[in-house]
Amino acid sequence: MSAISSSFFLGKAGRLALILSLVSVLAFTLVSLSPLDPVSAYIGIDRMQISTAQEQLIIDRWGLDKPAPERFFIWAGNVLQGDLGTSIIFNEPVSAVIGKRFVTSLWLMASAWLISGVLGFVLGVLAGMKRDSWLDRGIRLYAYTLASTPSFWMGLVLLAIFSVYLGITPICCATPTGISPADATIWERIHHLILPAATLSVIGIAQIALHTREKMVDAMNSEYALFAFAQGETRAGVAWRHALRNVALPAITLQFASLGELFGGSVLAEQVFSYPGLGKATVEAGIRGDVPLLLGITLFSAIFVFLGNFIADMLYGVLDPRIRIGAEEAK
Amino acid sequence: MLPFNRLFSSRLIIVSCSICLAILMCSPAFAKDSLTLAIKGEPADGYDPTLGWGRYGSPLFQSTLLKRDENLNIVKDLATNYSLSEDGLTWRVTIRKDAKFSDGTALTAKDVAYTFNTAANAGGKVDLIQMSSAKAIDDFEIEFKLKERDTTFINRFISLGIVPKATHGPGYARNPIGSGPYKMIEWNEGQQMIAEINPYYYDSKPHFKRLVFLFTDEDTSFAAAKAGKVDAVVVPQALAVQTIPGMKMHAVKSVDNRGLMFPTIPVNGKKTDTGAPIGNNVTADPAIRKAINVAVDRKLLVSGILEDFGRPAYGACDGLPWDNSANKINDADPKAARKILADAGWKDTDGDGILEKDGIKAEFTIIYPATRAIRQYLALACADMLKGIGIKANVEGKRSWDEIKQRMHSDVIVFGWGSHDPIEVYHLYSSHHAGDGYNNAGYYKNATVDSYLDKAITAASYEESLDYWKKAQWDGTTGSNAKGDAPWAWLVNLDHTYFISTHLDVGTSQVEPHGHGWPITANIHKWTWVD
Repeated sequence: MSAISSSFFLGKAGRLALILSLVSVLAFTLVSLSPLDPVSAYIGIDRMQISTAQEQLIIDRWGLDKPAPERFFIWAGNVLQGDLGTSIIFNEPVSAVIGKRFVTSLWLMASAWLISGVLGFVLGVLAGMKRDSWLDRGIRLYAYTLASTPSFWMGLVLLAIFSVYLGITPICCATPTGISPADATIWERIHHLILPAATLSVIGIAQIALHTREKMVDAMNSEYALFAFAQGETRAGVAWRHALRNVALPAITLQFASLGELFGGSVLAEQVFSYPGLGKATVEAGIRGDVPLLLGITLFSAIFVFLGNFIADMLYGVLDPRIRIGAEEAK
Repeated sequence: MLPFNRLFSSRLIIVSCSICLAILMCSPAFAKDSLTLAIKGEPADGYDPTLGWGRYGSPLFQSTLLKRDENLNIVKDLATNYSLSEDGLTWRVTIRKDAKFSDGTALTAKDVAYTFNTAANAGGKVDLIQMSSAKAIDDFEIEFKLKERDTTFINRFISLGIVPKATHGPGYARNPIGSGPYKMIEWNEGQQMIAEINPYYYDSKPHFKRLVFLFTDEDTSFAAAKAGKVDAVVVPQALAVQTIPGMKMHAVKSVDNRGLMFPTIPVNGKKTDTGAPIGNNVTADPAIRKAINVAVDRKLLVSGILEDFGRPAYGACDGLPWDNSANKINDADPKAARKILADAGWKDTDGDGILEKDGIKAEFTIIYPATRAIRQYLALACADMLKGIGIKANVEGKRSWDEIKQRMHSDVIVFGWGSHDPIEVYHLYSSHHAGDGYNNAGYYKNATVDSYLDKAITAASYEESLDYWKKAQWDGTTGSNAKGDAPWAWLVNLDHTYFISTHLDVGTSQVEPHGHGWPITANIHKWTWVD
């Protein structure tokens, strides 16, 4: 067992290292090829007050006078020593920016992830269990409609209804305006979380529910389900005792693999709700050509998504011992 | 009957109670001493003046040596006296003795010298290239040495907030300490910034004890205003015609201008370092540029596109102290425009409605950034107005400035500038800057204009430079305005539009430079709440 685990972990670590190096080379190449000029983005409308000599000073400060491959190796060398560099737009170490922003995003992503996972699974199971019933039709209609809804649009609609028209949810931000976030109560935080989390989860639910439903339909039509029915088991009984475990596995994989989508969705939702998380920082970094921050976030999100898949892999063995046993026998 | 009555009376009680409650909640019975503002402009890199914070006027937390009043005259702030030497290379500034930073320490000449020297080397948005050194002579006098004469240097005294030498360092931008009217309490990046009165501020105390700046998107800010959550919100002109209960429109004049930039030299086969083509055979003819200036109906642009939140533009600095009033021309006159073209030899020989001269058709492309609606409308409207005088303008939106950069030396571009520093006029029109990035992108060159611009920079004082700036625009025979060489057709100056609470009195706002937001806070210490 331990021998398998250590080789398993080594393999995963090697894969992560490979992914990270490929991702950083690719990201750096893309950013270098982009026509964005970070100096122009930084100077902005001050263009006419800044002399060319001053512009040169800015270029020197950022080290942009060196050729791209040289800059990459300097950057990569620093990263290996744990230094992600300094964000151009925030004038702060990249690690500090990511750290601060991620804590804010974490609240949003975690709640959206939990809600969409639990609700999506329950709805998918219900729909698959009573295939073609009015419940199934209703759930499918909901899922098909929302699976194709852009999250920013959903956010705007929710904002218009609940914040502007009804006035029951806040307009923006992660904590109430005018008071310090440190003084915000847990209820106030949750209050500010409701709409963005709802935006992210109503769409996440659709994905999970549709996939779970498919698996559930398969399971309910399987031979072991047929056998159970033959023994006088009810639909609910078959679903609860036989199908659920088989359906749970793909659902959990999907749920952990959806971290990437969650990350992408939060970029848009944070933009709409002025929720100052990592997603908003990503947009800023992209628009204003903040290469160190953009690369830092890219690496961070790669690790984040990798971890999601890794956890899913680990959970396989826990939920379905056959996979673990199979792996041991293959050894 | 009885049950109905009972039902009715209980309803009545509920209704009247809720009406009372609503009235109680709606009417602020006492004067407010805290304000919530959604005026955009969060400085992502923090509030460090040595990197460029506060260059649009009030740095809020810091104070400056000089400042501009409502009429943009230069008045003293920290400085009590200032003089420039005969040779124009040495400034001497005496500062007030009672100024203190918000941590209670005294502000001395050392802090001023430190601020200027640090900013000069920081590689930020403060251009102090012309300064060689700043030195404290004694506790309250500073000497600035310049490398060359530069009358625009005085603008650094106006825009650079003074930081304390003792506590300025890497963390300063997020925890600024200064001698301005307010001090920072807390900044939650991407969300809001809270400021309170600086108890050590030397000038009259502001009315509002506490300010909350919301840094939300345009849409979110507008929604927040509609929900009654903010006291002032900046909106795009297109939204300015709406109404928000409890708020009034406060439109502030600006030199935030939009105009057409023309390449002024013909195609010569040359390209820039980045491969951008140079020159345009049609707009190289001054008759074309003058005719466009005369033909365009600026008033119509203001009413049709800006919903009347703006004014016609005839130069880059309309109404500023260095603006020449002779820039104003009689426009919306297609007849006069056609005469200018005919006199220059432009004729429609093939009868297609477009003029020709020497085998060249009067046709060019107007380029604008596709995300800017106002510039798009201006480009389309101008193209329409030019049709009548026989000029064909094709209109093309580009996705980014980086794309426009490749075209701006050979096509007509809808640009927008506007600054409280006359150096902008220099960068726009001086041939020393021809093709130097966005500066004078049209390769405009006029030796007389150049000499006026150079004289303006090297004049004995800012006051004396004003006349040269004006002459560079028009000296009676030549210049860079529409009567002269017309390298630009300036179209409109936007009004910056704010919705502010009906109770809020913001006094007289300065004519604002390009860019929304902070300039309105320039006189924030004079704002009051009226019941």
